[in-house]
Amino acid sequence: MLVRRDVDDIREIRPRTAMGALVCVCALLVIVVRLYQLQILRGEDYTIQSIANFRKSLFVPADRGLIKDFRGRTLVDNRPSFDVFMTPAFCKGKERDEVIAKLREYLKLTPEDVERIKIDYQKSWLNKDKLERFRPFLVDLDIPRDQVDVLEAHRTEMSCVNLIPTPHRAYRASPSLGHVLGYMSEVTPEEMDDHPEYRRGQTVGRRGIERRWERELRGADGKQNIAVDAKGRELDKDTQEALIPEGERLILATPGNNLVLSIDERLQEAADAAFPGRAGAVVVMEARTGFVRAMVSRPSFDPNKMSGRISRSELARLNEDPLKPMLFRVMNENYHPGSTFKVVTSLAGLENNVIGPNTGIFCNGGYTMGNHRWRCDKPEGHGSLSLKAALQHSCDVFAYTVGDKVGLDVLGEMAHRLGYGQPTGFDLGREIPGIIPDSKSITPEAGSARAQAINASIGQGEINVTPLQQAVAYAAIANGGNVLKPQIIRRIEAPDGRVLKEFQPELDLANGHAGKLEVKETSLAAIRAGLLAVVNEPGGTAYRSRLLDVKFAGKTGTAQVMKLGLKQKLDPTLQQYYSRDHAWFAAYAPAEDPEIVVVVLNEHGGWGAEAAAPAAAKVVLAYFRIKKEESAAVATPPVSASAAVR
Amino acid sequence: MALSATEKKLDHLHWPLVLCTLIICSLGVWNLASATKNAPVALWWVQFKWMFAGVVAIAGILFVDYRWFQTLAWPGYLVALGLLAGVAFAGKKVLGARRWLQVGSMQLQPSEFVKLAVIVVLARWFTRDETGARKGQYGLVDLWRPFVLILIPVALVMKQPDLGTAMVTFAIAMTMVMFAKVKWRDLFILFATGAATAVLAWNKFLKDYQKQRLLTFLNPEAYAKGAGYHAIQSVIAVGSGQWSGKGWGEGTQNQLAFLPEQHTDFIFSVWAEEHGFLGGVALIALYAFLVLAALDVAANARDKFGSFLALGIAALFFWHAFINMGMVIGILPVVGVPLPLFSYGGSSVLADMLGIGILLNVSLRRFMF
Repeated sequence: MLVRRDVDDIREIRPRTAMGALVCVCALLVIVVRLYQLQILRGEDYTIQSIANFRKSLFVPADRGLIKDFRGRTLVDNRPSFDVFMTPAFCKGKERDEVIAKLREYLKLTPEDVERIKIDYQKSWLNKDKLERFRPFLVDLDIPRDQVDVLEAHRTEMSCVNLIPTPHRAYRASPSLGHVLGYMSEVTPEEMDDHPEYRRGQTVGRRGIERRWERELRGADGKQNIAVDAKGRELDKDTQEALIPEGERLILATPGNNLVLSIDERLQEAADAAFPGRAGAVVVMEARTGFVRAMVSRPSFDPNKMSGRISRSELARLNEDPLKPMLFRVMNENYHPGSTFKVVTSLAGLENNVIGPNTGIFCNGGYTMGNHRWRCDKPEGHGSLSLKAALQHSCDVFAYTVGDKVGLDVLGEMAHRLGYGQPTGFDLGREIPGIIPDSKSITPEAGSARAQAINASIGQGEINVTPLQQAVAYAAIANGGNVLKPQIIRRIEAPDGRVLKEFQPELDLANGHAGKLEVKETSLAAIRAGLLAVVNEPGGTAYRSRLLDVKFAGKTGTAQVMKLGLKQKLDPTLQQYYSRDHAWFAAYAPAEDPEIVVVVLNEHGGWGAEAAAPAAAKVVLAYFRIKKEESAAVATPPVSASAAVR
Repeated sequence: MALSATEKKLDHLHWPLVLCTLIICSLGVWNLASATKNAPVALWWVQFKWMFAGVVAIAGILFVDYRWFQTLAWPGYLVALGLLAGVAFAGKKVLGARRWLQVGSMQLQPSEFVKLAVIVVLARWFTRDETGARKGQYGLVDLWRPFVLILIPVALVMKQPDLGTAMVTFAIAMTMVMFAKVKWRDLFILFATGAATAVLAWNKFLKDYQKQRLLTFLNPEAYAKGAGYHAIQSVIAVGSGQWSGKGWGEGTQNQLAFLPEQHTDFIFSVWAEEHGFLGGVALIALYAFLVLAALDVAANARDKFGSFLALGIAALFFWHAFINMGMVIGILPVVGVPLPLFSYGGSSVLADMLGIGILLNVSLRRFMF
């Protein structure tokens, strides 16, 4: 009976099982359709995503180009060094404290460092992005060799600590080239927005050549693709090779190009040694090409420090130093040119026929215009002098007279022709134009145009120039009228030594006369005769600095500085320093056939004849000594070979 | 005589079902070996041993007439409840959930056996109950007793908390109810109540992480690194398998640990990643065959009890496979449900094998009146 009823029941169940079967098949078909969608229709997308999961690109940093002097000596290169990183995810809790304690001991970390490391560690864990804790953060930069050894020895105890080899910039040149070479520092997030080729932690050139030629020096980073597991750990070699196609494993970096400067390292050192002052500049430039042979800006900074382990306090000291070490005095600071400007006044007089080469002007010790008397440097007066004697003795009255006669605007026009009052075009970052006043720019408070012209005639008043402009102007006088654009890069070379670009001398086309002085040859000859007498004739202001071997010509300058009330807070010795005049000397050598121009500015150095001219003479001497030695070296083959290697 | 009886029995054994089960088991162990290639312990071997224990258990079950299970239904049900209660008090807590009982050196997951106990007890109830036969159809009120029988263990499992197992247990039971003669109107009321219960459960009973999982299902990208990570990585694994897969042991999602829980709940992603669409469809076909065979056994059972038992087992396999695969391929929320005979887990394997044993038993006895 029971069985009978069961059979009926099962008979009723049967159609339901058929329906159930249908439902099951349909449901499983849904799964099949979805599989088709995922695996076939979108399969490639998901394959790419699965590859993106395990594939990690590591940067292979490009070697930055070298910077060499024009004889091939290395001024800047790269040295291997190690940075220490820590991965928070691999040391938790107690291990963290142990590792930090060890790092503190091995790396001789300060309590501040330890605090910073702990904060970075904490930040990684608190980050919303759960993968942040797998990203290593910087513990210490560029650690010394002995610490590398210690860390290597304790490697197994600290699996979360990594030593990452990173090439650091090595500045081998004298720190006096600091401003010229520049330095490196970490790229900022804003810069990375504009230049996606930079990645976090990389450095970028700051100031000087490093900054200006960043693109040439940098090269292009390569890429290494590695395979990692879900925790970001690198897989073993076999798995790597199975997962990443051979052609994609390593994309080599392209090293940056090398720069060959016109700087002569030996001359640079000589110029730095010759310069006696606390602050100032020396520029040595080839008189006929505009290539810079030496460039000192003092005080300077050490690019090695700036590029690496500089402490906060050291940085603060640099920034607070009243002598402003970060200031590039060669082209970013203005000075009254003082008497060195008399060449401008004289040229303006000659060209406008206010004076002739032999015109005599009487100096009675002063020049009166209206109710104001401008005194000469020699109170008792020079008596009657020609242009040559006026330059030789640096007579102010002569200059006042000429300046007053030609007027401010003519004076200014000649100054612009010589390259003053506008940037010289030296391609090394921002350059200030200096100040050359004209009748439109002056304010009545500063005096009448005539008074201004008289002040300007001896390089005082509103006139302001940079040492670099002085070099350009004196080079133009020396080379017969070419106003040159100063340059410092001679060649760009590929890493294999191939010359990619050779720089040629260029005229400074911004002088209003297409880079030419356009003055009479007789005028230039008259000026040159005066400048020769300055050094080589008794009574010349720089006669004491004359050289036996080399005849050079030049002009002293002693620029009065304004007594600033603000400076009164300084201690007496400093105040005395700041009230001293700026000493100038602008020279070229040899006088008959000029090869180089030397400009020395000794800030608050006092008399140009005492505080600048001797230094310039030393530089001239050094130039010819080095020239002789180097040509002797080239003449003897074995030495030449070794010099080339160097 | 005894020998020939055994021979006869062997002739009547549902061999296609046996074969299908063995194939799934073999593939499961093979796949598990890939999924746990980097594990320190050879889990596939552990799994194999459990399967072997399952085969022995099946052999044991076959010697007993399944009708005897009617007698065992209540004691079995009570033992299952007792184990669940035991879990609640003495269970081992793993990742915030109490699901395991420590028995010697083994860990037992009673909720896996509860499903079988519920199937048996419901089959018994529908066999014994006269109401349906008397009225011709079941009304909802008539079903209050089976509902109580279902809801007690479901509530206990929910409490562990194990949302997936609770849902599957409930789904299996509901499927069995649907195969009894229930009025369509009442079924509708049932669903409405179910929906209301779901809303209530959401607001009152679901743990935050459970809600999170369900929410994540609705919008996985929003939780990419957090809660949705499972779902997204699983879909990437499956999708990247393409037509024929990356090959055994070559699935990067699986081998490099981008897939979470790859040897338990997400075992199907491993299979789909390494064996592709073709492998996936083949496996689905095997499960389809299993379920259809079970329904066939139900349709041809000797009695109502056997029929309901087979229905329950069919539902067990269907819901597990469907919910698990659906979750892995991103069409269902991520709830922890094992894929029968594929996911690693002794209790689950043993329970599934016992289910197969019951099925074979029912199929075998229809020839023995």
